[in-house]
Formats: sequence, structure tokens, C-alpha cells
Amino acid sequence: MTSDTATTPVSVPRTGFPSIPWIELFKHAVLMVGALIVIAPFLVMVSTSFKSQNEIESQSGGFFGSQEQFVDHFCAANNPAEECVATPVIFNYSTAFTRVPLLRFLLNGVIVTVSIFVCQVIIALPCAYALSKLRWWGKNVVFGLVLFCLLIPIHAIAVPLYLLITKLGLLNTYASLIIPSTISVFGIFLMRQFFMTVPDDLIDAARMDGISEFGIVWRVMAPTAFPALLAFGIFSVVAHWNDYFWPRMVVTGNEMIYTPPLGMRVYQADLEGITYGPMMATATVIVIPLVIAFLLAQRRFIEGITLSGMK
Amino acid sequence: MANSGTQARAIPYLFSLPALLLILALLLLPMLISLGLSLTDYTLGAPDVEFVWFENFERIFTRSTYMKMLSATFWYVIIVVPGSIALGLGAALLINSLTVGKGFYRTVFFLPVMATLVAMAMVWEFMLHPTLGIVNEGLEGLCAVPGITAIGFFETGCADGFPHWLGERETALWVLCFIGIWQAVGFNMVLYMAGLTAIPRELYNAASVDGADSAWDRFRLVTWPMLGPTNVFVLTITAIRSFQAFDTVDMLTEGGPSKSTYVIMYAIFEKGVQQNLIGVGTAITVLFMAFVFLLTFLQRYLVERRVHYA
Repeated sequence: MTSDTATTPVSVPRTGFPSIPWIELFKHAVLMVGALIVIAPFLVMVSTSFKSQNEIESQSGGFFGSQEQFVDHFCAANNPAEECVATPVIFNYSTAFTRVPLLRFLLNGVIVTVSIFVCQVIIALPCAYALSKLRWWGKNVVFGLVLFCLLIPIHAIAVPLYLLITKLGLLNTYASLIIPSTISVFGIFLMRQFFMTVPDDLIDAARMDGISEFGIVWRVMAPTAFPALLAFGIFSVVAHWNDYFWPRMVVTGNEMIYTPPLGMRVYQADLEGITYGPMMATATVIVIPLVIAFLLAQRRFIEGITLSGMK
Repeated sequence: MANSGTQARAIPYLFSLPALLLILALLLLPMLISLGLSLTDYTLGAPDVEFVWFENFERIFTRSTYMKMLSATFWYVIIVVPGSIALGLGAALLINSLTVGKGFYRTVFFLPVMATLVAMAMVWEFMLHPTLGIVNEGLEGLCAVPGITAIGFFETGCADGFPHWLGERETALWVLCFIGIWQAVGFNMVLYMAGLTAIPRELYNAASVDGADSAWDRFRLVTWPMLGPTNVFVLTITAIRSFQAFDTVDMLTEGGPSKSTYVIMYAIFEKGVQQNLIGVGTAITVLFMAFVFLLTFLQRYLVERRVHYA
């Protein structure tokens, strides 16, 4: 594509025509095949969410479906047929929101992820500050403990935590979804590393101005650490929005506190005679918020999600 | 003044107290409880508990259910780890050497890392549907290609129909591995891209002075050794993540057919939570923890011993 510009390091033969960069084209071909496989489920998901059940079963209708109106038989059983005429895309998405309280699931997702992140920050920042900028007896022991706990994946302590939640009578509550994640040793570690790079002069100046230690944490250190906090926030929110393992353990009934991933289970339960259109519409609604956020701020997201690479 | 001095001395403790308490209550204590319960026959609601010592572990290493668990986990990890690392590294190398389109490919390959895995698992299940899915439809389309039935897979597939993927013991684990690789490639690719940019350009110039001209020589002599620390890190994190595979199993196979996809994390969930066999559940957990610690210590060891070049 750009092989005819002067800046590319492609050798230009005497004829004046640029040589075809075969190697570059070959690389693109290989990557394109890979990209197609990677992106295929996303395309299938969106495309299917546009189609009517007939088009899905006969694998016709192109990417967006023909959007031909059809009669919803489920509705027509109790209502006059003319009231039950629907356009596939509208039918799929409205069914996604009415068959299960999907909006409520999304709201729950927001409540849980935001609460977890806020708790993690409130608990991690003062500790990270103490570990990086204050001198006290026992500091190395605490930091050693933090480093050790970095090794413990939540999966490894899930059963005892589940017992704890059960014994406290917290099954099927927001608390059961939030409490186990309120402590992020990774957050402490990350913020401590970042605070180490903040010059002591800044803190001394704040002390001269009569700001309390508490004030220093929240009014001096926190704003300075904004980039690190943002990266950690993305890391935390993405991980908990997508988390399925822990909610699956502690939410057994009560649909009203389902998080979005649990919402997919409703469709798993009745795969026979399923309506794939609404199912794919639900999947699209759950996946799309993070994908859009990612497309808008790619660098930040990649930085945030690969944060665990800093251990 | 003395009072304010005492106050100042108390501040670091006050600041770390909430974190410390939560670390103890939510991380260390549960771990110890796991160790303790793994030696008992504890179940929720049972009136008394008995120490059975290593009976739970003995069971894990003798009963066929758990042997199937170990084998499914082993094969899952042994396929997903090299698969996603090789493809991640390959993608990173290819993308890094492009003149145009770097950002585009990086974005596309990273999408599965972001996407909610359970939702995407349902999409894969739909794509792999024996009659409605595009995978088998595509394969049937390939049957029209002359000579393709020379390949054993197509010979049987075109004659008797293609596999029911998730419904068959021979293919279900492969499908889960494929989805696992599909999701992990982008993550590994990004880590490798960061590792590649950290390699000083002078090293390539030096290598070419010494006669390393082909792309393979440059890779073998400069890129691969310089990626040492990245390799060790990617290997550990991918292995730990593969041991934790749960979402796709619970969503698509529930450990079946005939326990062929009964991976360790699903076993912990099924025994410890669904069947209320806390003793066995925690014993498997202890085994899992042992794997994770082993991997991490191996990583530390390798990082300190072998891979410091820069």
C-alpha cells in the first residue's frame, strides 16, 4: 500500500516501478488469517444477534439479516397476530432485556466492580504510603507478607472463603461478591512501587504546609499516582466485570444480584429449542461495554491488563 | 509534643492495619484452613468432623475420577501453554516487523483478552453446533475440494459427518484448549511486544557485523536470548492461568463427556461447593496451590540463575 512512497526501505529497481514487497505481503496474509480466526466469534455474535431464528437455522440473510418482519409465535399464542409482528433485530435485543433482567445484571456489574475498586484503593493507598515513605518497625515484615500473598491466587482459597461467606449467612448478597476482593495485595505492591519514585521533598513540603499524614495520602500522593491508579483501575474493573468463578460459587439463587457473566447461564440452562438471536444479543450487550472502552483507550487498557506483568 | 510524637509513630501502623487485617482474614487464614480441612472429612452442616489424615490425598491419587482430573488438567496445560506462547511470540515478531498495520493487528489479537469469556464461550458453542454452526458447515464446504478426502480427517468427516466437537470424548478437551489458546494469544503477544522493544538495536548491528545475516540467525543469536526474562514470565503466568481454567468448562461441558474435560478448578468447584465434600475439595485445592508455588519458585530460580543478559 505504501510501497510507492519514498520513505519505505523497499529497494526501487531501475525501471522506476517499486518492487512488490512480497515478504511484507506474506506477513500480512499470515496475520490476516490469524486475525480472521480471532475475530470470527465476535462477527458471528453480532451477526446472529441481528437475524431471525429462520435465518439462523437456514444460515442465510448475510451479515445483518434481511430484517424481514415475522410473527412471534410465543406472543401470538395469547394475542392477535397483527400485534406480534416483529423486526428480528428489535425482537432479539428487546427479548434479551425482557426475558431476563439484563439491565439489572449490568447495573449489578457496575455496582460490584466499582465497590471493589473503591475498597481496594481505600485500603491499599495508606498501606502503600506507609510501606514506601514512612520509617517504622515491622515494615519489612509487612512488605514480605505482601510479596508472599502475591503468590496466592483467589482460586486457591475459594473453598474456605466460600465456607466463611456461608457461615456468615452472606450467600446471594452483594457483600459476598465484594468482600473477598476488597484486599488487593497486588494493588498495595503496585502503588508502593509507584510511591517509591515520588520525591521526598514533595512530602516534606506538604508537611511544612501543615497537611496531616492522612491528607498527604489523599491530597498529595493519590493525585500524583493518577496514571498508576488508572492502570490499576482498568486491571481491577476488567478482571471483576468478567469474573465468573467467584460469583458462580456464592450466587446460587436470587437472580436480582446476578452479575453479567452469570446472566449468560440463563441461556445455558435451556439449550434445546433455544432462540439463538436473543442469546447472542445478550452476549453482545455484556461484551460490548469493555470492547468499546478498549477501542477508545487502547494503550491504557493494554497497560492496565498486562500490569500483572510487573510482579 | 510527646503526645504528637506518639501519634506520629502510630500512623504507619494505623495506615497498614486495615490491609493487614484483611490479608490475615481473607488470604492467610483461608489458606491455613484449606490445609487443615484437607485432612478431615468436613462437610457443611455435619454435626462432627473427623481427622482422616491423608485419606483425601490417597483418594486423589488412586480413584479413577481424580486420575481423569489430573490427566485432563495435564493435557489442557501442556497444550495451551506452548500453543499460546508460540502463537503469541509469532504474532509479536510478525507484527513488530511490519511497516504498516501494527496497531490494527495488535487491537484485533487483544480483543479476546478483554471480552467476557463465558459470553464468548457460548458463541463458540454456537459456532461448533453440529448442524447450525459455521465450523462444520465450512468443513462440509471443503469436501467439494477434489482430493481432500485423502486426509483421514476429511475422509471420515465427509462420509459420516464431522465431529460433534463438545459432545464427544475425543474432541471436547481439544475444543476447550483451542478456546483457551484463542483467549491467551493476545495477552502473550502484548508481553512479547514489550519484551521486543526493550532489545537494544545495537545488538542487531553487532550481530550483523559478526556475520549473522539471515532473519533466523538474528532471532537465534539476539532476539531469543534477549527475551529470556520475558519467556520465563510468560511461561509462568500462562501456566498458572491454564491451571485456573474454569469458565469454559462450567459453561460448555461441565467436565464431560465421561470426565474428559474434568480439569482441576472445575473439580474443586464440583466437590467443594456443589457436592459439599469440603475435605476432598480442599485437598485438591492444596494440590493446586502446590502447583502454583512450584511454578513460581521455578520462575524465581530461573530468573536469578539463567536469564540475566541485559
